[in-house]
Amino acid sequence: MPSFSEIGEMLGFRSKNAVFKLISKLEHHRVLERDSKGRLIPRSIAYPVKILGYVEAGFPSPAEEELADTLSLDELLIQNPEATFLLKVSGNSMSEAGILPGDMVIVDRGRVPKSGDIVIAEVDGEWTMKYLRKRGDGVTLIPANPNYKPIRPKKELKIAGVVTAVIRKYR
Amino acid sequence: MDSQPLNIISSWPQAILHIDADAFFASCEQAIHPELRGKPVVTGRERGIVAAASYEAKAQGVKTGMTFPEVKKLCPDAIILPSDYETYSLFSVRMFEILRRFSPDVEEYSIDEAFVDLTGLRRSFHGPYSLIAKKIQGTIETELGITVSIGVSLSKVLAKIGTKHNKPHGLTLIPKRAIHLYLDKLPTEKIWGIGPNTSAFLKKIGITTALEFARKDERFIKAHLSKPYQEIWHELNGRSVYPVIAEPKSSYQSISKTKTFTPPSDEETFVFAQLSKNLENACIKARRHKLAATRLILFLRRQDFKDSGMEIKLNSPSAYPANLFEPLREGFNQVFRPHTLYRQTGVVLAGLVAENKIQYTLFDDTARIEKMAKIYNVVDRLSGRFGKQTIYHAAGLPTKLQVQHAGERGDIPKRKTELFKGENRRQRLKLPMWHMKI
Repeated sequence: MPSFSEIGEMLGFRSKNAVFKLISKLEHHRVLERDSKGRLIPRSIAYPVKILGYVEAGFPSPAEEELADTLSLDELLIQNPEATFLLKVSGNSMSEAGILPGDMVIVDRGRVPKSGDIVIAEVDGEWTMKYLRKRGDGVTLIPANPNYKPIRPKKELKIAGVVTAVIRKYR
Repeated sequence: MDSQPLNIISSWPQAILHIDADAFFASCEQAIHPELRGKPVVTGRERGIVAAASYEAKAQGVKTGMTFPEVKKLCPDAIILPSDYETYSLFSVRMFEILRRFSPDVEEYSIDEAFVDLTGLRRSFHGPYSLIAKKIQGTIETELGITVSIGVSLSKVLAKIGTKHNKPHGLTLIPKRAIHLYLDKLPTEKIWGIGPNTSAFLKKIGITTALEFARKDERFIKAHLSKPYQEIWHELNGRSVYPVIAEPKSSYQSISKTKTFTPPSDEETFVFAQLSKNLENACIKARRHKLAATRLILFLRRQDFKDSGMEIKLNSPSAYPANLFEPLREGFNQVFRPHTLYRQTGVVLAGLVAENKIQYTLFDDTARIEKMAKIYNVVDRLSGRFGKQTIYHAAGLPTKLQVQHAGERGDIPKRKTELFKGENRRQRLKLPMWHMKI
């Protein structure tokens, strides 16, 4: 249990006397007790009730309310449902980012690509999936596999969407 | 006189937007197959005729309904794809959802067309109606990767004229003071709701353009034309009569189901089986919308594209195939000619009435009707659980003896062949699949 001054601070009481009065009341109601050395011991606020058995009497199922604040996998993976597409991965240039051939990536077309995002882009007429790196002067597409080289677009770069998740199903 | 505006009161008493996706099916294909962008793309491979053509293909003369040899003659490098209705539907739903971000009043008019009531939204978007329209157009383009054409005006009829005025990727605003400029030189048959017959009649009473029609006075219009055309006359004058109905489409005037099969067939049982499948499918849709038909139309299309068909008035409204097989059979027997090759069959359920408003007569066997309701309720539930046509009438069985499309046209879209683990022939993920090698 906190000390009297701490309780006072928590409850906004200026004097310890006020805290003492409160504690006395709580003791009276047996919410608090003192041990042999006089230290406070908290007791349960609820009255102990002897359970005689269960009656099914339409006790509200907690499920509905408790589950109101949960997300479905769909909601977790898809932020903008109208702009979200699926794409099956065939290459391994992003293998070290954990994206392997056969995986499915979720792509958001509506999101503004930021440096560090994994993007689906068309570079000089070729489609690719890479990390986007924007630095002062220009844009580079960085693979996550040492066997591939970073790409600096020569003529044109079109970013078609931002990868927001990867799905791999094992069975 | 033609330089005079039609009227000069408050400039936007209401603002109605019409949106039409450009070459919708072909555009969806180009959106999910980026390598097809800028190329002539045609869909409908499985039907043997063009269902939709991209603007690149249209530029070379390709039109909806053409056969593929015709297409190849005009446009040798045309890319002919099987229809992927699942993807088109996903795009369609998304287009409507995007529209609902801008206004709650969205009327889904067809798979690729909608009306949106923008009245009063200028303040929330801090700009004129043209800006809202532009935002809509831009959002659909970035998020879906397809282009749309938009018309904004004071009524549905005028908004539609706006959309048509500039396609593809157009945005046409027809404010009150400019209506006459868009109606001048527009032939009456180009007005939404005016068919070739009415247009021919209008010519007889001295009206050839939309502007001439709009400028007639009310007395003249009332004396010569019936109510639907009087309404169009108001709409053309910028007085909105047709509201934007913001409900998902459910009140159909008719439901039709057709199917092409290749090779064509002259076998009676097979052709009837196709027809009975059409009937079942049409009935499933009618039941889903809680509607029943009072008329049944059937038609058979011959190999040379000539149609023959007939309309049957039903004794009592129904959406239960078991009740409709008898009239279907009678109609079929009258229409079907032996030794003739047919390529397509179709059924139309017309004169639809709400299922719960059906008045049965004294002579209807209500016990039987109730039993039907129970049976088809179970059929529909089974289909909902195990897939379309888990149970179907035996009359449709012969369709299983032949694949719907033999040979090259039997191509199925990539979506149904390139499956992700966990997807199957019947169910796939409810997201469009992008096809590119990365």
